[in-house]
Amino acid sequence: MSDIPRRITLAQWDLQYEQLQKAGTYQPDYGGPLSRHLNDGDQRLLKLRFDNSAAALRLWNFLLTEEDRLRDARAAGKKLIGTMKDLGTVPVMAYSFDNLVAFYPDGAWWIPCVMELSAGLLSIADSLGIDESFCPVRAMLGAFVTGAHFPLPDRLICSVGATCDDFSAIAQRLEGLGHSIFFWEIPHRRKAEPGEEAVNLPGGFSAPKCQVEFVESELQRIKTALEETAGEKLDEDKLSAGIKKANQVRTYLAELRRLAFAAELCPIPALEMLIAEMLAIHFCSDRQETIEVLKELLEEVKARVKAGIGVLDADAAKIFWINPVADLQVMNLLEDCGGRICGTEYLFTHALDAIPENIPALEALAQMALADPMVGSSTERAQRICADIHRFGAEAVLISRIPGASHCALEGEVISEIVQDNFDIPVLEIEVPPVIDSMRPTVRTRLEALVETIKARRTR
Amino acid sequence: MKTIIYTCPYVPAEWIAAHGLRPSRIIPDAAGATGPLGRSEGVCPFVQGFISEVLTDKKAGGIVVTTVCDQMRRAYDILVRRCDVPLFLMNVPNTWQNVTVQKLYIDELKRLGRFLIGLGGTSPSDDALARIMLDYDTARTSILIVGGYLPARQYAETIAAFGKDGPGEMRNNITLPAQQIEGMPLAILGGPLMRRDFDIFDIVEQAGGHIVLDATETGQRGMCAPFDRLGLRDKPLLELAGAYFCGIQDASRRPNSGLYKWLKCRLTDTAPRGIIFHRYVWCDMWHAELQRLKDWTDLPVLDIDTAGNNQTAKQRTTNRIRAFLETLQ
Repeated sequence: MSDIPRRITLAQWDLQYEQLQKAGTYQPDYGGPLSRHLNDGDQRLLKLRFDNSAAALRLWNFLLTEEDRLRDARAAGKKLIGTMKDLGTVPVMAYSFDNLVAFYPDGAWWIPCVMELSAGLLSIADSLGIDESFCPVRAMLGAFVTGAHFPLPDRLICSVGATCDDFSAIAQRLEGLGHSIFFWEIPHRRKAEPGEEAVNLPGGFSAPKCQVEFVESELQRIKTALEETAGEKLDEDKLSAGIKKANQVRTYLAELRRLAFAAELCPIPALEMLIAEMLAIHFCSDRQETIEVLKELLEEVKARVKAGIGVLDADAAKIFWINPVADLQVMNLLEDCGGRICGTEYLFTHALDAIPENIPALEALAQMALADPMVGSSTERAQRICADIHRFGAEAVLISRIPGASHCALEGEVISEIVQDNFDIPVLEIEVPPVIDSMRPTVRTRLEALVETIKARRTR
Repeated sequence: MKTIIYTCPYVPAEWIAAHGLRPSRIIPDAAGATGPLGRSEGVCPFVQGFISEVLTDKKAGGIVVTTVCDQMRRAYDILVRRCDVPLFLMNVPNTWQNVTVQKLYIDELKRLGRFLIGLGGTSPSDDALARIMLDYDTARTSILIVGGYLPARQYAETIAAFGKDGPGEMRNNITLPAQQIEGMPLAILGGPLMRRDFDIFDIVEQAGGHIVLDATETGQRGMCAPFDRLGLRDKPLLELAGAYFCGIQDASRRPNSGLYKWLKCRLTDTAPRGIIFHRYVWCDMWHAELQRLKDWTDLPVLDIDTAGNNQTAKQRTTNRIRAFLETLQ
């Protein structure tokens, strides 16, 4: 275990790094002081607070060196698969091949934040007719145009159907610019009707068997496309092995989440937990290293919980967070205001649930794809959120609106109503743009009000 | 007879009528009050209008919503909580290239059929379905034929009336104008129009223009392909599905190359001198097509974005259309 856990600045991390080096702490080949990433333009790091553990350092370095890994993979003769929108399903398949590496160009939505708008990606999107009325994922278009933030993939695979309009429209714009995209259909998940066989999906949702079969047929098309790109066949054994590896990641994350959200003292900050959860989607372009990174982080968290120490005050307000934030700093801000994350739903809970291992592999992945909270109704999503609120004991819900996102316009109201039908707890909506600096006082005031409300209710 | 209301063009009226129920495609008047929604920020005005219209409709015996766009898909979640009328969410795939998605659409039609039977409808025989399809097809053909001779507003209203009331006596009710319509030929392209947006046709006419191609969802573009008579006789449901699912081209399709193929043909046929691109704020599907359309066509394109409900916006639209026509003179 590292020193007394606390949240530190980038400058403090440089000092901490020297101490770790002197102590001979293991560093992977992508390791090094965090501040070196400023040279890549990652200016937002200067305004963030980080967990001070070696495990967190490894996590951050792993995240911030992904572009290098992708370029190395290409140099090593591997093919790059740009998977879009499905958030977790296709990468499990891609990483089951020996020579494919999958990543999400969607991840470019954090570049405007991390580089504090200096990369100009949003301006490029503007020039292509995709303005600020779209979700910040429009930064992806700029990244494709500049080619500066990830190597252009050898194949693009994008799910459409029961997805958000922003992403679908942006993907179409990308296709119109000459980037060939393999579109596949994910249908809106519904419940089985009388006379239809129902399938229980990972995470607790259910769907009619015919929908699982349909998605399986779509995944079969993807598998064939990947086999063409890879130049090798993907048999059942290989895919099953890939699922087992993905489940190893998910097992670590499940334990991390349980400890982070339910321990008496919060053992790990919200920001590091957000990044850890994100690793489940495409393993940050290195599946085995993801497992190692999470293993070390979990060990750190376990040690802190065992020692009864944490990074936040014991009376921190327990908040369930819905949707990922475009500006990472907001996760710090919540904690600065006296809050603590006790449960999350960052749009990809299906990438956190264990994939069934006792059924044919493609069928298991089809079940996983259909378990995506965003392909079903907001009502079902809210019900799952309610189950997790109960599990982790959250005292309030914060719905983080993504600017321009089609789902955010109407889902907040449904989720809010259902949460309040089930629990007597406050629900707050805030909107988080890629860089909140100009709105920081407003957001801070709203977060403080929520925290105060929670604490006042404890004494009722 | 129960009335089943819907607005999406991918819902085949013939299928509802064949079940012995009355299909009625509704077009919201305007964005409507935000009352049913806690907040309207980010909500597509057409979706807002649809929600308002549905919640105030006292005659509907059933409501069909589709998944063509995300906001409409989520509007279903709102309606389920606010509305006592039975609702059906029909899955309309965005992809179209392979047989499995076409089969999915047909399966959804069958599921819709079961919903309709649950509302008191009856399962149609092939012959009954074919007869109704023929009736609708004949009416649609008549509308398309006279379309070129009608003022644009009258044409749009004729299509709207056909969607709302079905074929009925409409073929005999279309009155052709005594004089040939003149004016700068323009096309209008976009998603659905609300009733109040039909004023655009008047604005164009008053400014010296004439819409020769209504490629909005509530116009010609939202009409299914003509039925093949042999297919109609042998496998009417397959024919119906093909004419709707493969025959209606929309921005939501992935990829949506079919929309541009369709548009190219219609632009060649009608020879407009410019395109009015109509979109609602927060409609991502159509908004994203604006720049692409400009890159694709040599014709001048006028972007009309609207929130669908205020007089200031109408004045702005009027001014923009006038200026557009002046530049085209």
